[in-house]
Amino acid sequence: MADGVINLIIDGVPVSVPPGTLVIEAAKQAGVLVPHYCYHPGLPVAGVCRMCLVEVEKAPKLQIACATPVAEGMVVQTQTTQAKDARQSVLELLLINHPLDCPICDQAGECELQDFVFQEGRPGTRYAEYAKRFNPVEDFGPDVLYVPNRCILCTRCVRFMEDVAQEPVLNVSERGDRAFIGIHPEARLDHPWAGNVVDLCPVGSLLSKDFLHKARAWELDKTASICTGCSQGCNITLDTRDDVVVRVRPRPNLEVNRYFICDHGRMHYRWMNRGDRIEAPLVRQDGELKATDWDEALARVVGILRGAAEGRKAVALVSAGASTEALALAKRLLAGFDWSGAFQVVMGDEAPLAGVPNLALRAERAPNAKGAEQLGYTRDYAAALTAATSAAVVLVLDDPDCAVQTNGALIYLGTVLGPDAPCRTAEVVLPIANVAEEEGTFVNRDGREQRYFQAKPAPGMAQPAAWVLGELVAAMGLAEVGGP
Amino acid sequence: MGFPHKPHPKETVVLSQHFGDADARTYKGWVKRGGYDALAQALKTEPAAVTEVVKESGLRGRGGAGFPTGLKWSFMPKEKKQPHYLCVNADESEPGTFKDREIMRWTPHALLEGTAIAAHAIQAEVAYIYIRGEFTEPWTIMEKALADANAAGVFGTIKVYLHRGAGAYICGEETAMMNSIEGKRGNPRIKPPFPAAAGLFGLPTTINNVETLAAVPHILKRGAAWYKGLSLSNPKSTGTKLFSVCGHVQRPGNYEVTMGFPLQDLLYDMCGGVPTGRTLKACIPGGSSVPILNREETEACLLDYEGVVASGSMLGSGGVIVFDDSTDMVYQIMRLARFYAHESCAQCTQCREGTAWTTKILERILTGQGKTADLDLLLDLAENMTGKTICVLSDSCAAPVVSGIKKFKNEFEDYIAGKRTPVMVA
Amino acid sequence: MTAPRTGSPHALDQVEEYRPVFAGKVLDELQTLLQRYPTKQAALLPALWLVQRERGWISDRNMAEVAEVLGITPAYVKGVVTFYTMYHQHPVGKNFVQVCTTSPCNICGAEGVVKAFLEQTGAGDPGATSPDGKWTIVEVECLGACGFATPVLVNDDFIENVTPDKVADLVKKYR
Repeated sequence: MADGVINLIIDGVPVSVPPGTLVIEAAKQAGVLVPHYCYHPGLPVAGVCRMCLVEVEKAPKLQIACATPVAEGMVVQTQTTQAKDARQSVLELLLINHPLDCPICDQAGECELQDFVFQEGRPGTRYAEYAKRFNPVEDFGPDVLYVPNRCILCTRCVRFMEDVAQEPVLNVSERGDRAFIGIHPEARLDHPWAGNVVDLCPVGSLLSKDFLHKARAWELDKTASICTGCSQGCNITLDTRDDVVVRVRPRPNLEVNRYFICDHGRMHYRWMNRGDRIEAPLVRQDGELKATDWDEALARVVGILRGAAEGRKAVALVSAGASTEALALAKRLLAGFDWSGAFQVVMGDEAPLAGVPNLALRAERAPNAKGAEQLGYTRDYAAALTAATSAAVVLVLDDPDCAVQTNGALIYLGTVLGPDAPCRTAEVVLPIANVAEEEGTFVNRDGREQRYFQAKPAPGMAQPAAWVLGELVAAMGLAEVGGP
Repeated sequence: MGFPHKPHPKETVVLSQHFGDADARTYKGWVKRGGYDALAQALKTEPAAVTEVVKESGLRGRGGAGFPTGLKWSFMPKEKKQPHYLCVNADESEPGTFKDREIMRWTPHALLEGTAIAAHAIQAEVAYIYIRGEFTEPWTIMEKALADANAAGVFGTIKVYLHRGAGAYICGEETAMMNSIEGKRGNPRIKPPFPAAAGLFGLPTTINNVETLAAVPHILKRGAAWYKGLSLSNPKSTGTKLFSVCGHVQRPGNYEVTMGFPLQDLLYDMCGGVPTGRTLKACIPGGSSVPILNREETEACLLDYEGVVASGSMLGSGGVIVFDDSTDMVYQIMRLARFYAHESCAQCTQCREGTAWTTKILERILTGQGKTADLDLLLDLAENMTGKTICVLSDSCAAPVVSGIKKFKNEFEDYIAGKRTPVMVA
Repeated sequence: MTAPRTGSPHALDQVEEYRPVFAGKVLDELQTLLQRYPTKQAALLPALWLVQRERGWISDRNMAEVAEVLGITPAYVKGVVTFYTMYHQHPVGKNFVQVCTTSPCNICGAEGVVKAFLEQTGAGDPGATSPDGKWTIVEVECLGACGFATPVLVNDDFIENVTPDKVADLVKKYR
């Protein structure tokens, strides 16, 4: 045994892992997924579902892989008849009271019960003549429904609320096969991170009301993204169906959000599907904004920038939700000016996830404030607004509520522009993609740069802001200028 | 037995000596009868030495598992770095067993003395005596005895508290008991960690049964060799055991005999056998969680740990349930399965769902709707419920089912074949 | 058939201000109990016994009070209350009768004892309260007195060797 490493064999594959590693984790290295329900790497071990029974040489009984630490020279077999029979029995027993709800259950297609029954279960049940236990559906709180009939009592939800959220608002009630997940009548499941129980639930027992009957799991395209709800930078997956974002789920990142996202971020996606988008570039002609093509719109901007006198002021009013690339290019575009840039961030209450260090819904409700800061943008938005009034060029990036008044030229890059929006006075309006429609990076509050990817096409002629600004930079001949 | 009848000549009266003697319950009465001498002696002895004596005596846990007591005490850390706890298991809920309540009702100070000695041996600062909620009379008696003992300074600096259970058989499982004392649902814990390493409140803990601790003062006073000598058979089973005999016998009650005593002598000589005109059909020798013995096996069985195993069952808690030929074995096995289904804590899938399904199958057989395949199904379920769960409640449900089908198959088949009138099942 | 006159909080028109259990002497008792354990939570089972002693049963509101006093959540308390069968989650008759019917007592006629109780108290079904509010009869699991079949608990009185013919006298005694 080398220092600090345990060597063992799992299904014939030798693996080496740190001491204290659980067999179920070590198995992943051997490419073996041991079927399980109650185990989750983000939760304390329970060992109750008994699904992960494996054979360990020299042990008289089958062992649960989720609670067995590795030992030097251990030989683990997961596919012996004994182990498979035991697991098959667990599946059969889970199904005796579990209703055949697949056709109407949201979890179908991403259900761990379906998966393992398909893989290792019996073809039919022997529990034929008996009634299944019945309990009515319960509304646990703002977004969570509980369907007791489908519950397999893995207790992941109870353990999450108790140990990770540290607000034990869920319990196991009753005993034996009468048991179900309970909540006190005077309590609601309204913890800011409670939505994670829906992800954790291996079956369709805990459901998101927001997602209820919205889409089938196999209709969804999944794209890696970064949450724009705050500056924590939780890694997420955007689930889209026919190019509409229908759900946000956490993506594991042990350094940032582990396995979780908060409810604010989870619900923060409808804006990505807004229909009232600017779909074509607009230029001012005869006092009105007229739709045109990119060539003309970009040429107009270049004309404005070249036309402004040397050394004149330029102010960039940006969103702290714009990509780092866009922010950098916006600054470079205005390199010849007396430049100042600022952003404003909506603030809210911080809501930490107590059981995870350095994880919270952050007060800054925007994903890239740090990125903007690093590039030289300030938070002194009021000063920037003042400076803008006498600036030659004002560039507004993705800030639809920006109430700037200027005598100079207003160039607006944005996704939406309401009929009464202050920026309707712009010279040029350039439609850009939102976070779901482009690839880019954000820098979270800890200085971590993280990439997000495109989940759906941008509407009409909208383009990523970084592309727009990049074209402008090239057209201005500023491409070779040193970094910001 | 001492109560309500006088001891039978064939009994070896040690623990039950003062059963029925109300004066023995009092502190003064107990001292008058030689009580607390053993404690005084133990307190002058090093804890490790006390443990050695108990180890040497061969005393094994009398709650059901039969684990060597001295060995269990020796698992506690020798070097004291943290508080240690002692839990006394007075949760007696194993069907057929009613000995611990007699010890508490008649000789509460015997238990307290054993507790004090054990606490000294394992260097425990606090001892909790977990009494099941339904034992209202033992509770009252123990409360008084504890108050008197404290007043007399029996425990020195050790704190002894009574803790009342609230109706859960599973809390007799040692790790479930610890969770119950901590104010949680009585869920058994996965082991490791073991109680001696991290038990009650995460600290080193030993859990002992009432009868086990009641024997300790005697061992200290009269010596390990004497206790070892009280065995008729295998040296691995020493001392005496209170056997709680119940069911179809003429004189049910607790009988104290030396290890290795023949079960048939216990049933026929001491208990007067089954009611007149009936014959013995079956017997469960160690509380309902052990396999059922048929008549031949019962009459050949020797009552010690190895002897009962040799006969195909286990000594368990020593709760001897006797069934005569009027018994509907299928019904009683169903009733036992229902007991386990009711008491399952709901953690493990096999137990939570398996005990209930087993009960349902047996109910269907009784109501005349059973199928031949049901017997194989019951046996398959029982196999999957054995050796695969956190605790052995699941295995305990399987034991009477497997042994019942094996040894009384015709009764099951009669119901299935429609040869027996179906019964109403509540 | 008149409704049971137990002042049951089931009646919606009786919305009273909540009267805490843990006040005065009962609070003192709890404080003593708290000394026995290193955590407040460990006093939960004893605290629940106090509530049941004082109020006859444990309501959701009681559970919330216990939770507050011990610094745990109401859901946690409820999970514990529903685990242990001796805690009543709704009001019961003046005499709560527990009859063991597990196998050792079952083969000695325990079911007959239950039937006798149900008939002679008018309770009708196990778990139901009799119309006069005086009786709730339940079947329970092994009471640990198998050699003294059939044991019966009437509230806190543990009565042994009960047979169907003795039930009439018991009912008369406790009515």
